[in-house]
Amino acid sequence: MIRRILSLALVLAVPVAAHAQVERLSGRLPEPTRAAVVAIVDSARAEGLPTDPLVNRALEGASKGAEGARIVAVVRSLADRLRDARTALGASATEAELVAGAAALRVGATPAFLARLRRESPREPLVVPLAVMADLVARGVPADTAATSVLALVRSGVRDADLVAFRENVERDIALGAGGGAAASVRAGDVAAVGVPVLNNPKTGTTPTPPTPRKP
Amino acid sequence: MHGPADDSLIARVAEELRRPVAARPGFDERVMAAVRAEAPSLPARAWTWLTEPRSFVVTPLGGLATAAGLAALVIAGVVATSGRERPGAARGAALQPAAVAAPTVVTFVLVAPRATSVALAGDFDGWDRVKLPMRRASAGLWTLDVPLAAGRYRYAFVVDGRRFVADPTAPPAVDDDFGQPTSVVTVSGRAAAGGSL
Repeated sequence: MIRRILSLALVLAVPVAAHAQVERLSGRLPEPTRAAVVAIVDSARAEGLPTDPLVNRALEGASKGAEGARIVAVVRSLADRLRDARTALGASATEAELVAGAAALRVGATPAFLARLRRESPREPLVVPLAVMADLVARGVPADTAATSVLALVRSGVRDADLVAFRENVERDIALGAGGGAAASVRAGDVAAVGVPVLNNPKTGTTPTPPTPRKP
Repeated sequence: MHGPADDSLIARVAEELRRPVAARPGFDERVMAAVRAEAPSLPARAWTWLTEPRSFVVTPLGGLATAAGLAALVIAGVVATSGRERPGAARGAALQPAAVAAPTVVTFVLVAPRATSVALAGDFDGWDRVKLPMRRASAGLWTLDVPLAAGRYRYAFVVDGRRFVADPTAPPAVDDDFGQPTSVVTVSGRAAAGGSL
């Protein structure tokens, strides 16, 4: 009985949520663009993909004054990457993981990297490792080096905070003139081999603690 | 009818009955020990209490209220259980805050002394240019605290209502498809992993 009630509530809630998402697009996009985006969103929903990121990307384009065709192309491309991320990370991947995975794929990570990351850390959320990989590429680290570094760190069992500290140290090295690839490789080697980042956390000025297994 | 002989007999019998009986030493203890041994154990008494039929008188309103309370308890239990079974919910306490952990408050900061207004636009507010105005502190410092669930968010500062400005302390978004400065903040559930903290 309870199961029936919950199922009924879910059945009623999904169209309401979908309608709310589509409503967010109303008035922000010209009608042809809105219709095309809604079609992509509906298709993604039918596949079980998260749709909020698609709506947000369309709204971003609208806010930035992008042309309708560009907005539709970007939203469609994001839907494709979300689909690829789910294939690589598995059906149990969370929305946040899929968003981070799509960003990693966008900057050059391969689906094989995502799948490998999942195998190395099957029960841990991968939002931060995937985001750090994308952020490193944004700072000038080659995609393959960023992927290799993050994979090595995850395999060594570091925490999310250690991954963020690693990224910050690489950013600082690059700002001081180091090459992105070299900085990432050296820092990742330091963390994985020694267990602690070589330099202090530039933001806190504190000596980082030895990494511990990524646990809740 | 009875005579004096009968009264004498009755008196003798009564006297005999009134005379204390001498028991053996320890007799009382032995009797009490036997009584205790025959008393039912606590589980047996509890079982008897539980299984003994009882009759209750309930008004229709009372019965309805009881049923509603039980239904609420069952639904709460089902919801709590389904929440624990969600994939990724284990460390989700750390990384899946939307369902498990409280949102992390991220402080966004921009130094813009000449700006007359600064707002925050991003994935968390539908990229609305005016929805999240930032507060001017001192010396052109603009700040805003935003609670965010775990995830990766793209955002930018909107200066004077029209100009998008990236966060100089945060990683840039490589996946910036619209040709405007965009930054990224990643929230792990325990602390912001972007550049705004």
